[in-house]
Amino acid sequence: MIVSLICALVAVFATLRIVFEKSTERKLVYLNLLNFAITGVIVFVVGTMVDPWLAIAAAAAYFVGATLESNAIASTLAQKEGRQ
Amino acid sequence: MPVPISEIVQILVAALICWIIFILVDLIFALPRKGGVSGATAIGTNIELAGGNLHGGLMMGNIVCSPDASAGTLLAACGVYIAGLPGGLFATVLVYVGNRICHDKGYAGTTGAFFATILITAITSWTVLGPELFIAGMVLAITTIQGISHVHASRLLGKLWGWRS
Repeated sequence: MIVSLICALVAVFATLRIVFEKSTERKLVYLNLLNFAITGVIVFVVGTMVDPWLAIAAAAAYFVGATLESNAIASTLAQKEGRQ
Repeated sequence: MPVPISEIVQILVAALICWIIFILVDLIFALPRKGGVSGATAIGTNIELAGGNLHGGLMMGNIVCSPDASAGTLLAACGVYIAGLPGGLFATVLVYVGNRICHDKGYAGTTGAFFATILITAITSWTVLGPELFIAGMVLAITTIQGISHVHASRLLGKLWGWRS
């Protein structure tokens, strides 16, 4: 399916951008893009192979969890820079 | 694998609709005004230092740090794809819970998810566009903001924020 292929390609693209980006804060922005793409892939894969409702729960849980991690990392970096 | 041109066009149309939904809701909820948490402010100032616009950068920081209208639109599209209108509403509830988990006091994510659920359900029942196109469309829409050029994306968002404020 072309829609899942698009999500997967965007995920690979985002990963490459993360690898080549030097600033940690801006890596998080690309990581956010990666999370969007992976959420799409989860719905397409889990939705067709396991329970459909589980797919929404898994996608939302993954996305919220990943966002919370980015939030924590960015806040910690901001505090660290504030102290220096 | 031959790719039908019509499907590509449909995905691009879905991406445009998603882009308009999430930018509109985020601007209405004033995401570019200030960083919701210190991390969002740090990302915004970092993008400004790289040559971008501060308010656009703050909006991008807010998108990273809490589920906003773009995340709401994506999860609503996923919900509608899986189970129609009830799936979209279930996704809206999950976005609301996600906002609270991320200490976000705003309602941009929840409103975006609800608005997108209604719109995507209506569009998919009245046109040839399927809900799966909106998932790929939203991923492409967020790529234009978060994935191509932070400097140019933040300037564009800053310009849109200037009109809004």
